[in-house]
Amino acid sequence: MEDKKTTAERTAAGRSSGKFRCHNCMTRIAPPAGAKQVKCENCGFEWRVSWLGPTFPRIRGPVWDVNRRLTEEALKARENKE
Amino acid sequence: MPLDRKIAYVDLTTGEIDIKPIPLAMRKKYLGGRGIDMYVLYNHIKPGIDPLGPDNVACISAGILVGTPSSASGRTHVAAKSPLTGFIGSTNMGGFFAPEMRFAGIDHLVITGKSEKPVYLWIHDGEIEIRDASKLWGQGVHKTQELVRQELNDREIQILTIGQGGENLVRYANVMTVLKNAGGRTGMGAVLGSKNLKCVAARGTMDVKIAHPEEALEYNQRLVKSITSAKVSITQGKLGTPFIWGTTNSFGGVRTRNFQTNQFEYADAIEPEAIDEHIIGWAGCFGCQVHCRGRYKIPSGEYKGVYGEGPEYTAQGAFCGEPACDSMEALLTGNHLVNDYGIDVLETGSMIAWAMELYEEGILTLEDTDGIDLKFGNEKALIEMVHKIAFREGLGDILAEGPLRAAQKIGKGSEKYLIHVKGMSNLHSDERGQPALALNIAVSSRGSDHLRGRPAIDLYGLPEAVLREVYSQPVKYDGPLTSHWKDYEGKAWQVRWQETCYAAVDCTGICKYHTIFLGPNFPNFEEWSKLLYLNCGLELTPKEIWDVGERCYNIERLFNIREGLTRELDNIVDRYYDEPTKGGVPAARGITIDRKKFQKMLDEYYEHHGWDKDGVPTKETLTSLGLENEPSNML
Repeated sequence: MEDKKTTAERTAAGRSSGKFRCHNCMTRIAPPAGAKQVKCENCGFEWRVSWLGPTFPRIRGPVWDVNRRLTEEALKARENKE
Repeated sequence: MPLDRKIAYVDLTTGEIDIKPIPLAMRKKYLGGRGIDMYVLYNHIKPGIDPLGPDNVACISAGILVGTPSSASGRTHVAAKSPLTGFIGSTNMGGFFAPEMRFAGIDHLVITGKSEKPVYLWIHDGEIEIRDASKLWGQGVHKTQELVRQELNDREIQILTIGQGGENLVRYANVMTVLKNAGGRTGMGAVLGSKNLKCVAARGTMDVKIAHPEEALEYNQRLVKSITSAKVSITQGKLGTPFIWGTTNSFGGVRTRNFQTNQFEYADAIEPEAIDEHIIGWAGCFGCQVHCRGRYKIPSGEYKGVYGEGPEYTAQGAFCGEPACDSMEALLTGNHLVNDYGIDVLETGSMIAWAMELYEEGILTLEDTDGIDLKFGNEKALIEMVHKIAFREGLGDILAEGPLRAAQKIGKGSEKYLIHVKGMSNLHSDERGQPALALNIAVSSRGSDHLRGRPAIDLYGLPEAVLREVYSQPVKYDGPLTSHWKDYEGKAWQVRWQETCYAAVDCTGICKYHTIFLGPNFPNFEEWSKLLYLNCGLELTPKEIWDVGERCYNIERLFNIREGLTRELDNIVDRYYDEPTKGGVPAARGITIDRKKFQKMLDEYYEHHGWDKDGVPTKETLTSLGLENEPSNML
């Protein structure tokens, strides 16, 4: 049986830790350890953070009021452009 | 060897039971599980039969790797012609049933006819008995299992059963095992109910001899390490599948209020982390290290203190997003009830949400609902409708018929509010922003279905190089692939690739969550080739396993075409094309599916499969897969 690395093992080499992607613009965000909220440096959207482990953050959900406001502004800008 | 397990034919009309070996040639062509089941259905079911009549054939089976040391190799497959769609009925469930049936010497059960009175099957170490089930009829899923174990005096017996939903022929009734493992989506519970078959009990002590045991264990450890170290598995083991709903909701990719919005705003009370506060422990299925089944006690209300398992992504969609209800009590209670009644959580939630939209539109009135105020957010109405569907009372009797039949009965333009494909409700996700996901549900062989071809990793924004690494194995692909979920280019190939991948894994009996469904670095064809050799002594290359998946998918297509499938039915409802999304982040707003681009994707998809413009497999395709002489009656 051939025993070279499989596709799964080769792609696993690119796995990141301590980060997640912004759900608005897909930019990688590395929240400070233990942070409960984080702002995306790229688009300004804010996310509530939960920690599955000391170095394992995930987006718990949006900071609703902030993201709602930013969305409305973005949609207005899109409308004006059109 | 695992390959010495048998196929058993049970005729419930005559009581005859015939147990036969499975030819090696059939193993090589279809492996087991879904593959062999689909072959049996195509060969044994006459076109046009009533799915709820005695001529329907029900298959219950184990995949070829079930019961071996392979990680998460505990899946049970159940198949028949679907009473919901009239096409292929097929469902795949976790738990412990299939391994136990295999330990009892049987890999495939083929059940025909109809018993005069309620019965159950008892499989033990190569023997099968038909036993009286009159005391079990009328019982829920959980009580039934308890009663069978008491009657046979063995706590280790595994039971696959229907609840009241299956007995009452709810067209989307499930088969169930343990507390919440559900074989849902295509009404297989109703098929067993129509045959007066309450359950199948299995207990086995027959060894499954492994071809290369030491190497098999060692290789499995390597896979387990890779799977359990993946971020997605860690998340799943801590929060279960609700983490997917939470994540999707946060950007605007879920279906809420039937189809009116794509985000449930301010739904913090039912986030995965909020559910986690009610979880008292985590359980796993046979041979699985991820343990994604949360166990909970209902915190309040009429069912306070009752144990349940889950809830899963679909329960969150069914009892939170779709009815716009942010009550933890409703979520956990509803989840418990559908599991005990044995009805499909997704279909139940979709039918109720559809009725809620009809009620708000004035198409249904208080008179139609027996006085239930069926407005969105009414948690009492939601739970009341679950009871009514399972027992076919009032409006529940209509909703139990499934989308198309219910719309026909209600009339008044209610059909245009349905969110379905081929008569099966869509997952509680909103695919308007993701053409690949929309194509997946449109073409899936068992109706609207995210588990047959969804390229879920399309949502991750993976670099093209990673996508190319994944989607160019084990057959060459050098066409377009793009990272953004809003694109149309290359998505047809991703869907077609995933379909073949999932069909193949369903023939092995390994859980989809241990495949590329959730992450690009999860096992697929290359790993399965090794597992088949080490466990079963079967030498198949990754490309040959690909062909098994492709053969399975094509025989399903042939079955569906024989039952009336046309290109027009490989489609999504008009609301996907006509109503722009209203919620979520700016990138998810104002989107519809483009009709022309969708049809182009469909053309590409057919071409990738080797089908003609109408979606019919060409002669060359069938010949290349050895399907040119079907039905061939080899089993």
